[in-house]
Amino acid sequence: MIKDVSSAEFNEIRGNGVVLVDFYSKTCGPCKMLAFILADVDKEVGDDVTIAKLDFDENADVVEEFGVKGYPTLVLLRDGAEVARSAGLRQKPEIVNMIKEATA
Amino acid sequence: MTNHIPYAFQESLARRQELSERAVLDEFERGSYDIENPLVKVNPYLINPLAALVCFETPEEVAVSVTVRGIEPEGDISHTFPPARRHVLPVLGLYPGRRNRVDLTPYEGSAHTIEIETQPLGDNAPELVRMETTPSYLGEDLIFVTPSLAALATGFDYRGDIRWHLNEPLVFDMKRLRNGNVLIGTERVIEMPYYMTGLYEMTLAGKIVREYSIPGGYHHDQWEMDDGNLLVLTESPTFSTVEDQVVLLDRKTGEELRRWDLKDCLVPGEGKSGSWSQKDWFHNNALWYDRNDNAIVLSGRHTDCIVSIDYDTGELKWILGDPRTWPEDKQRYLFRQVGDGDFDWFYEQHGCLVAPNGDIMCFDNGRFRSKIREEFLLNKDNFSRGVRYRINREDMTVEQVWQYGKELGEDFYSSYIGNVELYGRDWYMVHSGGIQYYGEHASETPAALMQNDPNVRAESETVEIRDGRIMLDLRITGNFYRAEKLSLYHDQDNAPLGPAERLGSIGVTSEFETLIPVPRTGEMLPERYEASITEEQDRFTFDAIFESGQLVMLMLEKGEERHGYFISTAKNKFNALCCGTFIKNDPRSVSMSVSKEGLSGTYEVCVVVDDAEFETGIEITC
Repeated sequence: MIKDVSSAEFNEIRGNGVVLVDFYSKTCGPCKMLAFILADVDKEVGDDVTIAKLDFDENADVVEEFGVKGYPTLVLLRDGAEVARSAGLRQKPEIVNMIKEATA
Repeated sequence: MTNHIPYAFQESLARRQELSERAVLDEFERGSYDIENPLVKVNPYLINPLAALVCFETPEEVAVSVTVRGIEPEGDISHTFPPARRHVLPVLGLYPGRRNRVDLTPYEGSAHTIEIETQPLGDNAPELVRMETTPSYLGEDLIFVTPSLAALATGFDYRGDIRWHLNEPLVFDMKRLRNGNVLIGTERVIEMPYYMTGLYEMTLAGKIVREYSIPGGYHHDQWEMDDGNLLVLTESPTFSTVEDQVVLLDRKTGEELRRWDLKDCLVPGEGKSGSWSQKDWFHNNALWYDRNDNAIVLSGRHTDCIVSIDYDTGELKWILGDPRTWPEDKQRYLFRQVGDGDFDWFYEQHGCLVAPNGDIMCFDNGRFRSKIREEFLLNKDNFSRGVRYRINREDMTVEQVWQYGKELGEDFYSSYIGNVELYGRDWYMVHSGGIQYYGEHASETPAALMQNDPNVRAESETVEIRDGRIMLDLRITGNFYRAEKLSLYHDQDNAPLGPAERLGSIGVTSEFETLIPVPRTGEMLPERYEASITEEQDRFTFDAIFESGQLVMLMLEKGEERHGYFISTAKNKFNALCCGTFIKNDPRSVSMSVSKEGLSGTYEVCVVVDDAEFETGIEITC
């Protein structure tokens, strides 16, 4: 499932199983492309993974906490702990593999 | 409004040269030319305006010497060609913007002097700041430099006069092959900012003898093996990561014989330099085959290290560089500093080499001067240098045994590019090719991203040091990737004729699996995007201007068959610009090259921009 979340909403769900956080910006072409890719990823991974979309420009506290330097950046959490990270645009198979490897 | 965006078909450079050479030879065939009235064609190969072909017949088979007379006698450049009756001779080393006097002298005959007029060079030639050397030191050799910004490849003689120049952006290192030709990167960009389709083997007249195309492209450096095959720096054809693979090409066929992937022996993210990025995690900028150790030695700018990998197995042999931040399991590969003398580690280096005694040299750019963020230096407080280390693989120790440049501070500082050469015992070249000032001090931002800013001043300095004495000091405007000292002529076939061989392929362009689900409007792509398409024999390239943040995808469509190629409009797309020659002044410019390989039939070219798909009116047949 894909959710657009604020910092507060993110803090509520971050410890719940597998969460893929998408740090994006509304002013970034690759981020817009990634949104379509994540929709495809969501169809493949189903409800086992929550995809949380977090606006880089509006959630400085989370950005700083995770040390995210740019966008798009994907951070994969398992029970609240970071298990994988990817910076830049990635295609669907790479993202699905990242989730499978980190959650195996 | 037209019914298609601007379109052009570009014939390959090799083919255009073939036609030009054919025209000269046909004219020679039709006419009657002797040594007193030869046929002269300036720039016969279209890319070297300081070369000419001189064609004539002699009654008897005879060797002929060609001498381009210098501005002073020490500047003469001569070569004697093998005996023939029909002479088609490349004349090299002409001065630009002059009526050059050229002597044609048959063996045991008297000289016939002809005039060859050349045009002045354009804005893409560098200007001399200073050349300090002697004619007896440099002789008829030139110092050749290859481009990193707008100024193009050029060769300077002992006076600092330009005697060789290319008017096309052939890039990266230019090495002489054992047959006398040189190997240099093509002008065809396969992926921005500087991944080229491959390499040209060419004469210094500019004639392409072979063109090698490589899936994944070419960047930075290459090496001729003992059997003539070529080791070439490349990357995965998907460009998911870059500058982390090496291929071995069959010299005669262009076939890929082997491929090494640095990810098989190193872990991306270990030993990061200050410029590290996930995609360009190693930034392999130099290559050397260590014959004595059967190893490939590679310089990785974004790991601040030089690594040696086993040629046969691809396994890691050693890592030379600041051992800090490398994980425990890599420490056994790293050297420990010893010795009482001056010692500095190198950072974000270029141009590594292995000396005959096993010493390792490089151009130590020194960018950041540390692997630890808290210790980073600004460029204005930094230095660059050529440096030589003695490594002991028994006890894994390293000692610094020579350096040149630290004492010069920011005046010799290059945050990127550069190389070193070792000519003999205590005889070196150090090329600091990326000197950039912003106002009074070293620039902190790459000049390639500020090419219209009048406060930016780019220069390049090449120094040769023998027995501790500076023998040559060339300082010119512009930034230049590397310097090489070469003679214009050599002792093998200087005048090959006939069409070039085009070998290998650029492979299949990686597509996007996810397509953007937007409606096709049936409207033309708006003119404000300034879009155009240039088709070549093996690919086509889409150029346009989009605002940062726009969502753009190039589409090829044939009925239900659709292929999508994502185009990034992100700001600051490039964080390492060893060759900024192809960066356009408008930061909104985008360029996407699509190979015809893997496609079949005729495709409509469309473009998705944000929430709509537009027509270009262009069809491409593959």
